[in-house]
Amino acid sequence: MLVLSRQLDETIMIGAQIEVTVVDVRGDKVRLGINAPRNVQVHRKEVFEAIRNENTQSISVQMDDLEAADENLRTMRRHKPPRSQST
Amino acid sequence: MLIDTSRFGQIEVEQSRVINFPNGILGFPSHNSYVLLQPTEDSHFYWLQAVDRADLTFVVTDPSLFVTNYRVPLKTEQSQELGISNLEQAQVFVIVNKRGHVLTGNLQGPLVINVKDKIGEQLVLSDRRFTTRVPLTELQSPVEAVAV
Repeated sequence: MLVLSRQLDETIMIGAQIEVTVVDVRGDKVRLGINAPRNVQVHRKEVFEAIRNENTQSISVQMDDLEAADENLRTMRRHKPPRSQST
Repeated sequence: MLIDTSRFGQIEVEQSRVINFPNGILGFPSHNSYVLLQPTEDSHFYWLQAVDRADLTFVVTDPSLFVTNYRVPLKTEQSQELGISNLEQAQVFVIVNKRGHVLTGNLQGPLVINVKDKIGEQLVLSDRRFTTRVPLTELQSPVEAVAV
């Protein structure tokens, strides 16, 4: 990993278009400002990781589970009282 | 074309139904082609089956069936990448997972599919109201229904 030291308000460039600036440093918290083209997605890594983990676990859902859920949903719709038009 | 699947065996699918995910789905970047299968006509769920890997199958559903006030913000650039020129071409799905007796939906990483041109992408939402595990429905029969 490339490691660079930067002070407050200093910036690094990633390629020609992405700028990362140290905006604030307080204790163990660093605030970064990012300028990037709109087609570059910028997210906290935890969010990506959470979605990736969830995706990986999701491929084990079985057909039986869905049949049960579908049957439930149909039952619930049958028993739902018809929607009233009055306010 | 013939597709090998671990859940349905070998199935025949029209080439025109193949949906291209140029960036893959997070965690599976090298699988880019999927087909959407509906188990029965009145099912609330679909299978998103990878064309080139038999056991890579996601259960997906239309989140609006379960959750109100869920909107997926689509940036202009993302619409362009997906080739979406009007919103009627766009269909939002969420990936379904099972936790105990509850089916959950990954609302933080919705799939947006251009149903006309068959291009899809998994988005990453910053909105923290929508997590990766939003409960959608129970698997066990509701007590009221049994009592009727």
